[in-house]
Amino acid sequence: MGLMGGSPLTGPGPEGIQPGPDGGFPPLPETGGLTNAVDWVVGWARSNSLWPLVFGTSCCAIEMMATGASHNDWARFGLEVARASPRQADLIILAGTIVEKMGSRLITLYEQMPGPKYVIAMGACTISGGPFYYDSYSVVKGADRLIPVDVYVPGCPPRPEALLYGVMKLQELIKKGAWRNSLIPRPINHAPFKDEMSETAREWEAKEKLKQEGMKEAQEKFKAENPDFKGVVIKRVAAPKFDEVARVVRPARGLPPAEILALLKTFFPTLGVYNLPEPDAAKLAALGPEYVLDLTVPKEDYLPLISLLRDDARFKLDFLIELTAVDWKDRFEVIVHLLSTEKGHKVFLRCALPHDAHPELPSLTDLFSAANWHEREAWDFFGIRFTGHPDLRRLFLDDDFPGHPLRKDFEDPSRVVKRPY
Amino acid sequence: MEALKTSAPALPPGFSLRETRADGSQEYFLNMGPQHPSTHGVLKLVVRLDGETVVEVVPHLGFIHRAIEKMGENETFVQYIHLTDRMDYLSSHINNLGVCMAIEKAMGIGVPERGEYIRVLVSELQRIQSHLLWWGAFGMDLGAVSAFLYGFKEREKITQLFEELCGARLTMNFFRPGGSNADVPEGFIGKVKELLEEMKFSLDEFDTLISKNMIIRERCFGVGRLSRERAANYGCSGPVGRASGVDFDVRRDDPYSIYDRFKFEVPLGSNGDCLDRYLVRIAEMRQSVRILEQVVAAFPEGQYRSKEKASYKVPAGSYFSAVETARGMFGTYFVSDNSFKPYRVKSRSPNFSNLSALNEMAQGGKIADLVAILSTLDLIIPDIDR
Repeated sequence: MGLMGGSPLTGPGPEGIQPGPDGGFPPLPETGGLTNAVDWVVGWARSNSLWPLVFGTSCCAIEMMATGASHNDWARFGLEVARASPRQADLIILAGTIVEKMGSRLITLYEQMPGPKYVIAMGACTISGGPFYYDSYSVVKGADRLIPVDVYVPGCPPRPEALLYGVMKLQELIKKGAWRNSLIPRPINHAPFKDEMSETAREWEAKEKLKQEGMKEAQEKFKAENPDFKGVVIKRVAAPKFDEVARVVRPARGLPPAEILALLKTFFPTLGVYNLPEPDAAKLAALGPEYVLDLTVPKEDYLPLISLLRDDARFKLDFLIELTAVDWKDRFEVIVHLLSTEKGHKVFLRCALPHDAHPELPSLTDLFSAANWHEREAWDFFGIRFTGHPDLRRLFLDDDFPGHPLRKDFEDPSRVVKRPY
Repeated sequence: MEALKTSAPALPPGFSLRETRADGSQEYFLNMGPQHPSTHGVLKLVVRLDGETVVEVVPHLGFIHRAIEKMGENETFVQYIHLTDRMDYLSSHINNLGVCMAIEKAMGIGVPERGEYIRVLVSELQRIQSHLLWWGAFGMDLGAVSAFLYGFKEREKITQLFEELCGARLTMNFFRPGGSNADVPEGFIGKVKELLEEMKFSLDEFDTLISKNMIIRERCFGVGRLSRERAANYGCSGPVGRASGVDFDVRRDDPYSIYDRFKFEVPLGSNGDCLDRYLVRIAEMRQSVRILEQVVAAFPEGQYRSKEKASYKVPAGSYFSAVETARGMFGTYFVSDNSFKPYRVKSRSPNFSNLSALNEMAQGGKIADLVAILSTLDLIIPDIDR
């Protein structure tokens, strides 16, 4: 049987079988018009009743929703039966970035779909990794490294019209008969992080060089033939010139920094201010009206100080904006930003920790429930252990992810493609 | 909350409540996501259920963790703007603004009058646009598909305005330190005026369709409560925090751009339930319309940005800025070591803290209520995972 022809959908078929005249399937051998007629009817029916899976990971999902909603209305293409279960769907529109952690789930989803099944890669991320190609340690550089893709829709994100065009292209392919062999496994590049862009770039560079050489010859020839040609004068629109504008500074709300510092000094005399040796009211005032107090806290004062800031009626810093860390190569700094929702003032804190495998700091979870996830994030990214944390697991990355990626010494050539410029 | 005793049978990671059942019946665990229509993206929830009652919920994150903060360390300060588009893509203009403000603070760049008006104009349009999408998705989550179509019909008008403004529908990359990268096109203000008139009509229509709908009201009343103290403790901001009574709006209490010149109210809830979160967002849309009316009435002439530079060498130090996105306080924290690229960037995403309160909201409710709670949290998962 000549079922496995080469087609644009499937790539090259087995050796010896040539694609049909339209690039699709070769006509079935030794069959008459009836089989072809049935084929045509089935292809027509399938292509006009695609059931997409509700699968959106990020930005593209919004444009996919917009495609389905009132203005663009994909029901016009028989596409409106969006299914939440992969077992009822036959089309998966990959709307959004696929990351390493999601990869295995995506493969499961694809395998759960009954055949014949189709995949549209929507947007730059699912085509190649898009804006997250370089420097990212988690983004899979193209969804076709995991599952076979039939139609690619470029854009970041593609417009609804582009997605509709992609759907129409898929329908064309299905009508050509590609539905017949969508059950046959197609080649997949099983290297989710392999750098193919640099290779392509080098190829293009070589081609560009050849082209330039050709152009040079042609230009010289043109010059010799037209000695009077003066060249084209290009008139450019002048870029608008802008004046500098003075920045308007609004004073920070709530207690002034000098007052907060004076109050805190009575409890914690060793407290310092970041980048300001021997701070006093005059020095703090010189930093401008929008300056937010940035304290350097010794490790032993960390918990009592934050406890005081939260509970004392004069400060009332009841809102943890964020807790994060910075890797200074010789030390870690844990950074805490606090806010008073009532009085409006903010206080920033930083606590230096030694740069070893797992520096430790007391957990703030008893004071702020918000700290729970922020501390898990700091553990995940920097490997800082928070003693007394009830549930210190990795937050974003898989448990077997090697190392802590936001450390400056993190290197993983198997995942990260470094930006070449 | 009782701590897990060592003798108790092992629970899946993250669960902490001790088994309290005496009658021999069993609790069970249910996975929701990462591919689930009501999680609005790829969030995985492991729900511990006693019949239909939720005992505990443990969210699992990272299914769209794209390493944006690490990438930011290898891009210039201005280049970081385009990455924030892809975090909370329904508030991309406002995210961009937050990054620009941090750079402006570091470099002492001022913004001309017209530039500031463009900023407020675009931010408030974006807020309405985001809430419209939420409104449609909220209706759909609770089973009212018509709301989705109404919401998107209105949203598309604003999307088209944005397209005219900056060429993009979603990932805008429009604001720059010192203003924006283009002036508003001709006739833009007139179109905004028309839109505002239509918006007022549509908001009334929304009220008739959903807000005054008894089924929806009873469905949402008292579901997923969060007290003021707990909301503040969890760092909930934006409509989620304000529905619980956390009276904080960056636009009013830590004003940026020229928000202190406009009259608007910050709607507050009292119960902290799903209905309050719904009503606060609807009221916010009306307030945004009110701000926009003041903006278009006084829209000035002049230059729209100050003197620009391709990239900025930021002096050593750390810089923080906060803006109010459609979901709450978005903070940008730059640490610079006196170079063109940030030494460390951290984006404080509002959704991250809002979602961390989910367990407390859902406990004791039904599994179906979980969908309503997730919907009123208005989650954008890439903003949480970054």
